[in-house]
Amino acid sequence: MAYKAQYYPGTTSVAANRRKHMGHDLEKLREISDEDLTAILGHRAPGQDYPSTHPPLAEMEEPPCPIRELVEPTPGAKAGDRVRYVQFVDSMYNAPSVPYVRSYYAAINFRGVDPGTLSGRQIVEARERDMEVVAKDQIETEMTCPARSSLRGATVHGHSVRLQEDGVMFDMLDRARLEGDVIIMDKDQVAIPLDRKVNLGKPMSEDELAKRTTIYRVDNVSFRSDAEAVEWVQRVYLQRTQYGFRPGVEKAQ
Amino acid sequence: MTCPTESGCNCEPAASETVQIEIVPQRILSPDTSEILLGRIYDCDGIIRVMVQGSRLPDKVGYGPGTGEKVDHPLKKSIEVEGQQVNMRVTLSRLLIEVDSDRTADEIKKICDETFSFPFEFYKGVFFKKYSTVVDYAKMGPEPDERLLGMTDPKGKLDQIVFIEKEEKDAE
Repeated sequence: MAYKAQYYPGTTSVAANRRKHMGHDLEKLREISDEDLTAILGHRAPGQDYPSTHPPLAEMEEPPCPIRELVEPTPGAKAGDRVRYVQFVDSMYNAPSVPYVRSYYAAINFRGVDPGTLSGRQIVEARERDMEVVAKDQIETEMTCPARSSLRGATVHGHSVRLQEDGVMFDMLDRARLEGDVIIMDKDQVAIPLDRKVNLGKPMSEDELAKRTTIYRVDNVSFRSDAEAVEWVQRVYLQRTQYGFRPGVEKAQ
Repeated sequence: MTCPTESGCNCEPAASETVQIEIVPQRILSPDTSEILLGRIYDCDGIIRVMVQGSRLPDKVGYGPGTGEKVDHPLKKSIEVEGQQVNMRVTLSRLLIEVDSDRTADEIKKICDETFSFPFEFYKGVFFKKYSTVVDYAKMGPEPDERLLGMTDPKGKLDQIVFIEKEEKDAE
């Protein structure tokens, strides 16, 4: 039987959702056009060619190297794209994903990415067209709720701030807001106004968020209620402390 | 009772027979709800001072590639309290109020019950500073108005305090 990777322990819905995000078993909920995505990322004008930082690899005379022959470059690296970023902020009020899970997701499922994890935000740096694939995938699937997750490159706070009355995560720079029953973004990641309104889709309901979230919360699914996850986290901590991850040492003693 | 610090100053603590309350709504209030809430609170008798705390609402982007771009936040509106226009510089996320009696505090709790459509926390305790600190001394001098103690954040300026004076009712 083929080995199936097990990314996260646990029997609760939160653990199952974490496995789904890490294993890329995601439900597509909305669509965003390439032009809209380019606009809200703000790294180049919609429709503009990808600026490059070096000639395409095929035109460069690379030295003979077995590793270069072994590893297929990503499309962005092949074309010589610039390295650019996408940064997500997730509210602690049952946002569908959390920074750690987004980093696992990026590192497990994509090549040539550099995920950075912070308490309330998560950044992925990659060649521009590779980064856009990662960003689009997260925005279009259940990893993102437009009201509880947001693209924020600067002034990122909002993760641990209370929600607004309309249930949208607070943004000091007002990049996205609820208009009618959909979330509209009319500024890019760093709050430079756009010449268009980008429709990010309908926010999830409270029940749906509680069902899809990857955050353990005492008012939803508490971490202590997941005995399997607690057991494995404790096992990892114990072994790291006692044996420095050297399997078999504990048996020899 | 004089200042308990060893600075030797003669500042007096604020009167302690008043009641101080803290209201923490579970959501950041919209300008409309803020206007209704503050309007009803100011209609009560026995309000001594009110302080609003919340996230800052800047006019312009402060840093990053978009520095200097106008923000125009929908929560940053002018609201009317006691017939006076007040510009919201912060969101209304926490309210500290000093009132003259428990009866007024209970009245305010009832107003919150009726105004909020979501849960809120309501505490009685000591929330305003009792003594003048070095920062207060630098800002207000040796004999500050006790009612101004604790009304600004340490980096704030005195002129950022909004004074809303209640209209005197006819004594006839």
